[in-house]
Amino acid sequence: MRILSTVRTFLAFVFRRPRVEREMEDELRLHLQRRADDLEQQGLSRAEAERQAQVEFGGYQRYKEECHEALGTRLFGELIVDVRYGLRQLRRSPGFTAVAVITLALGIGTNTAIFSVVNTVLLTPVHAPEPNRVVAFITTSRRGSSSSFKFPNASEIKFNLWREQTSVFQDVSGYRLDSLILTGDDQPQQARAIFVTADYFRLFGLPIAQGRTFTAEEEHPNGGSVVILSDAFWKRAFGADSQIVGKIISLSGSSYEVIGVMAGGVQTETLEPPDIWMPFPIDPNSNNQVHYFQAVGRLKPRVTIDMANAQLQRTTQEFRRKFPHALSTSRRETFIVQPMQDVLGKDVRSSLLILTGAVSFVLLIACANVANLLLVKGAGRRREIAIRIAVGASRGRIILQLLTESVLLSTAGGVFGLGLGVAGIHTLLALNPSHIPRIGPRGSNVTMDWRVLSLTLLVALITGLLFGLIPALHASRTDLNSGLKEGGAGTGSGFRQNKTRSLLVISEISLALLLLIGAGLLMRTLIALRSVNPGFDPRNVVTTRTPLDPPLAKVSGVDQIVHNVFRRLSVLPGVESAGFTRLLPLAGDFNSVPIIVVGRPLNGPSHGSARRMVVSASYFEVLKIPLIRGRLFVDADRLGAPGVAIINEAMARQFWPKGDPLDSQIFIGKGLPWLDEPARQIIGVVGDVHDNALGENPQPAVFVPAAQLSDARTAGIPVTWVIRTRAPSPSLNSAIQNELRQATGVPVPPLRSMEEVMAQSTARQDFNMLLMSIFGGSALLLAAIGVYGLMAYSVKQRTHEIGIRMALGAQKRDVFRMVIGQGLRLVLAGLAIGVAAALILTRLLSSFSHLLYGVRASDPATFVAVSLVLSGVAVLACYIPARRATKVDPMVALRYE
Amino acid sequence: MLGNGIRAHADVLPGTLDLLILKAVSLGPLHGYGVLLRIGQISKGALAIEQGVLYPALFRLVRQGLLKASWGASENNRRAKFYQLTAAGRRRLHKETEGWNRLVAAIGTVLGTQPEEI
Repeated sequence: MRILSTVRTFLAFVFRRPRVEREMEDELRLHLQRRADDLEQQGLSRAEAERQAQVEFGGYQRYKEECHEALGTRLFGELIVDVRYGLRQLRRSPGFTAVAVITLALGIGTNTAIFSVVNTVLLTPVHAPEPNRVVAFITTSRRGSSSSFKFPNASEIKFNLWREQTSVFQDVSGYRLDSLILTGDDQPQQARAIFVTADYFRLFGLPIAQGRTFTAEEEHPNGGSVVILSDAFWKRAFGADSQIVGKIISLSGSSYEVIGVMAGGVQTETLEPPDIWMPFPIDPNSNNQVHYFQAVGRLKPRVTIDMANAQLQRTTQEFRRKFPHALSTSRRETFIVQPMQDVLGKDVRSSLLILTGAVSFVLLIACANVANLLLVKGAGRRREIAIRIAVGASRGRIILQLLTESVLLSTAGGVFGLGLGVAGIHTLLALNPSHIPRIGPRGSNVTMDWRVLSLTLLVALITGLLFGLIPALHASRTDLNSGLKEGGAGTGSGFRQNKTRSLLVISEISLALLLLIGAGLLMRTLIALRSVNPGFDPRNVVTTRTPLDPPLAKVSGVDQIVHNVFRRLSVLPGVESAGFTRLLPLAGDFNSVPIIVVGRPLNGPSHGSARRMVVSASYFEVLKIPLIRGRLFVDADRLGAPGVAIINEAMARQFWPKGDPLDSQIFIGKGLPWLDEPARQIIGVVGDVHDNALGENPQPAVFVPAAQLSDARTAGIPVTWVIRTRAPSPSLNSAIQNELRQATGVPVPPLRSMEEVMAQSTARQDFNMLLMSIFGGSALLLAAIGVYGLMAYSVKQRTHEIGIRMALGAQKRDVFRMVIGQGLRLVLAGLAIGVAAALILTRLLSSFSHLLYGVRASDPATFVAVSLVLSGVAVLACYIPARRATKVDPMVALRYE
Repeated sequence: MLGNGIRAHADVLPGTLDLLILKAVSLGPLHGYGVLLRIGQISKGALAIEQGVLYPALFRLVRQGLLKASWGASENNRRAKFYQLTAAGRRRLHKETEGWNRLVAAIGTVLGTQPEEI
């Protein structure tokens, strides 16, 4: 109530102020006139009567003020006066205002930028009704501990058990992404497909614009060939055909009936929005153990995560009884659910936290700088403030007025910062999307919503108070006598003030050092990653991905497509060799399959798992993966010939630490229905390749020749072509693309160089490093400005002293050294504090996995290099003031007072 | 009527101005100067206040909801702001009057006490 009435008074004050003012004036005037009339009647002259009326009334202005106070509008009145006065002050010194606003815009803008990403990735609720009931299924090793192993993928046997837990889950849905080829009268084109089980649409509340969703029958294996189009795909591929529902379309060689079109603008929590939705039939009696999709669920009303996890604990026991070998017992694996929102942002949470810390440091430095500017300015305003105190302003009133000025500055900084931040982050995300989840294509989901807006305003307000408080306290402490007498001259403006300013500059330097060390460590990480030998030669290799689909290629078998591709490419001048693989190194997820070594006891520990790679015979030659022992695949290794396999060194080390792998036969994926095949003879060992990430150690891998798989296992499945050229050339690329198009009969995505693929694999580290460098650079610049400002001011203040020194025989050299020395002392103090803080804080950096690679958090080289750079810049910032000090003319300086 | 009373007599006790205003207005709507006149009139010039003090008090009473202000024409047809008692104002006047009477009675008793009565 109280607040409401204050707000009402304030609004009335703002909007009706002139009227209230006028009415008050009218009322008081009327009183004076009536009194004068009465006095006149008593016999006074008019002039005399009016004077007498004034006297009887008392202090007219004072009572008017009191009336305002009685109305509760005095505080607002003062505020408006302060704001007007502040604006006038700022306008009077445009240089100062510009520097302060730019500094603040930089500080606040970087915070807006990072927060807008944090907001989109971590804070925006899952796009679903009642989003906090949406959970993701995870297989984990131990509950609670953050460093524990977490596996987000689902297998059919796990999924079937999960969806039976209807006591805690309302919906459980599995989904997986794939890429299909749409063919028709037009050019064939790629379609991003998402296969979803029945509950998906209800779970995410996806609205259908036309037609319907899948029926229960269509969700069964062999239930029906139906498809739902996205609004965008319906417009793009079918020209928004209003008769589309019921039509038959051809996807990767099979016919599907279009049963619906999704509403426009739906948000899905996938990295890229899907073009088509298709049923994902999962056999309830399946014993497929491959982890090839993901599962989400919706908790029943009033069921908590803990309740669901308690239930899943029991489910895990049941699962162990049913499938004794499917879970690793050594890791004590168990099923859990986590809020979908936490899972979506988990990859980038640590980087975003670090970046948030970094930008708050930048803001602190900006604050310190502006505070310093204000201190200097405050020294020049001592006379003005002394006068105001002399005419009766209270100390609180002065502080309030100065704070109003600093909040005005920070608000202006905030407004510019908001624009700067939002525009800046969009530019950066467009340049480098860096696989950040949820930000949309080129960062389009990162928008300025109420949260970003209010945080920016709040930051601006706090910033204004933060940097304004110390200078305001200082200024209000002005001693009346000296303030008026000195007339604002530079002498003796306070030892205390200089100490404050020095402390501010020292803290700026230490904060800048922290940021620069962070940037330095990330830079070293990137350099270390870039210099990792990937295990293959990426130069002059281009890649692209197409399915091998005989009907689309209008041939009878997969081997014919492959043959045609190789034949067509071999005639292109400039193509050296060509091959293909199902999974390209550094470009995606790898799944491990169980490996059993023939002849070893079945329940012994000597088996394990390895990544299974299906490749063409020429794959190793194209990527120049070295053969260590044995032989590579040859054309004779085809269907019908004895099964062969090649392993990598990591696998040889793990499975045959002493013996010879070339004597052995192995079962690959034994027990997996889709992989059931006879044992294969190991014929060769090749060098290790960093498949997963440059920063991760190569895992055991086994290579299988594609030619030894039947068409039933290969037809329609996409492969990635790898083509080595003699020299990179764009025209050759389009020729290659064209030949592939002719041979495979499907659209061919643009070619990428293998070097691009490698660079892409470190995109996120790139992004972190780029941002950290921008922040570090800003910090360095701001700190340099801070040092310069302090030294320049100090030299000006000490002109008199320097004059005396020179008169007494000090050389220019000595003066120069004295000034530089003074600056250097500050810098060294800042460095010492910064290094100490960095040793603590960088440990945090290394505690987040994947942030640092190939460099220790306390890397001495980084610390030394950064300290040198910072001191160098700081000394440079002292140089101009020092030079100015040497130019002091003793005669002028002594007369100066 | 207001005469010289304005300067000649004792100051109004602190806190009693509001009560006087409420009482004056309770006898019929008045503008500011009218309030002053009526207080002078009914006190027979015995109570004096500095005239300007009246207005902050009037504004305060309006804000507290005890008085209601409206613009109208004064006796000589000038635009003037008239004050009127609200229901809350009437209740307050009643309460304060009782309080005042009790206080005066009590203080009167105390001051009238003779030595032999103790």
